[in-house]
Amino acid sequence: MKFGLFYELQLPKPLDADQWDPDAERRIYHEMLEQVELADTLGFDYVFEVEHHFLEEYSHSSAPELMMAALSQRTKNIRLGHGIVLTPPGYNHPARVAERIAALDLLSNGRVEFGTGESSSDMELGGFGVDRGLKKAMWEEATREITNMMVQTPYQGFEGEFFSMPVRNVVPKPLQQPHPPLWVAASRRETTMVAARLGMASLGFGFETPDELGERALEYYRLVREECMPIGHAINPGLAVLSTFMCAPTDEQAVRRSANGPGFFSYSLGYYYNPATGARHQSGRRNIYRDFMNLPLEQRDGRRTLQQARLLSREEIAEREPDDEVQRALFRAARSGQAIGSPATIRSNIKAYEDRNLDVLILTAQAGDRKHEDIMESIDLFGRHVLPEFKERHETHHRRWREQQLAGVEFPINSSI
Amino acid sequence: MAKHDDIKDEAIRALLATAHQQMRSGKAAGAVRSIADAYLATMARRPAMLEETVELRPGRTMRKVMRWPALGANLDLDSVVAGQPRITFIRDRFAISEAITYYEYAVETALAQGL
Repeated sequence: MKFGLFYELQLPKPLDADQWDPDAERRIYHEMLEQVELADTLGFDYVFEVEHHFLEEYSHSSAPELMMAALSQRTKNIRLGHGIVLTPPGYNHPARVAERIAALDLLSNGRVEFGTGESSSDMELGGFGVDRGLKKAMWEEATREITNMMVQTPYQGFEGEFFSMPVRNVVPKPLQQPHPPLWVAASRRETTMVAARLGMASLGFGFETPDELGERALEYYRLVREECMPIGHAINPGLAVLSTFMCAPTDEQAVRRSANGPGFFSYSLGYYYNPATGARHQSGRRNIYRDFMNLPLEQRDGRRTLQQARLLSREEIAEREPDDEVQRALFRAARSGQAIGSPATIRSNIKAYEDRNLDVLILTAQAGDRKHEDIMESIDLFGRHVLPEFKERHETHHRRWREQQLAGVEFPINSSI
Repeated sequence: MAKHDDIKDEAIRALLATAHQQMRSGKAAGAVRSIADAYLATMARRPAMLEETVELRPGRTMRKVMRWPALGANLDLDSVVAGQPRITFIRDRFAISEAITYYEYAVETALAQGL
């Protein structure tokens, strides 16, 4: 199993003010640079950064290509993942995406992971005039053509349903051939299977638990073997799953430092992606963090996460969960495979993912009101005390398992897994 | 593993086998039509499905069948409430990824219903 870091660039508003400190956005951008630089030196394999627009507080990452360009000059080995680029043409013209991905691949000496997706928040769809009912078809058409732009000299032009352009040579071309590894954001099981059938790695944004993952991994690889119709010119078989992350010297410190990170992440995500609330968001006026902090504690501390993971019913939760706050948080982390705790606790929690043949575990450290210095120590501790043994087993065990899964696949493969 | 071959109900299996074949030959629109028929047949065989709900958040639920993706072949809520589910096609062209999404959902649902 390999490891990545995941960034939304969350920025909760202050509780006692309606707007952020004027320096707040600059600060989180530079903190991310420092965190990823550290992760690179410790051997983390990937960083994935989202593209979101207008989702204030939840995500201030609207131009990830610029952050990736900066990181390309500050890091040496870590792979730079778009997690994801919004490819429906209303967000980004396909030729501009092909150009930017290729330029970043050149700048980074071939370290780009080309994640793609469509988003589903009303703020973004409405902001750019993208039709919700057509966004998946738009994503597919544009993504397919972007890969053609990267390999054809000149690009043969296209008359499509959602965009058209004449013959042009789209330059530069990427360093990785035929193009960087392809990924697609998958928050539903069906999309993971779309990924398999189209030869893309699945960026699992649904916080799958290890139990859910087991069946999904086997089915994903079966589809890659038996039913793949590649969208690009090389396939990238792989499954990644997102997990919340806070490593500290002791379990109790990890729980304290994790703070409201997972809770605010879930709350603000739910707020924007629920049409009943997201569509009515008062841009620039609302204080989502204040709303979140005004909730009763049991609604703030991630209780629903466990139910959503379908591990326990509400009654079972009440019956089995420890009363002590720290122990309760650790109980939940263990049940749902979250990377929260001391190095020993995290090692034990995430082993379940490795046992079910996960390719990449992506860790969300920057969330809610977590502190930069805690995140730095978390990355450092994990990188020194947990990551090495998993990386070693990736080479000695997982690589062999993956080769067996892909035996007989005749398509070209470009994958960093 | 969700495969249409594992579905016991002959008619639903045949519809999804046809859809699978259509997807493999790039006929996404035809595939979505076949899959929609299969999903309607699934609900007809298991009418109790129409009453099942899922909790979105405390105090807020939705009918589980409405999780059927709304990608242009949309399940009409009023028809579900009336016990006569109907899928409305709001366009004629579909992408392969949309057909796959519907296919996976329909196969998974049929198997989960023990059909």
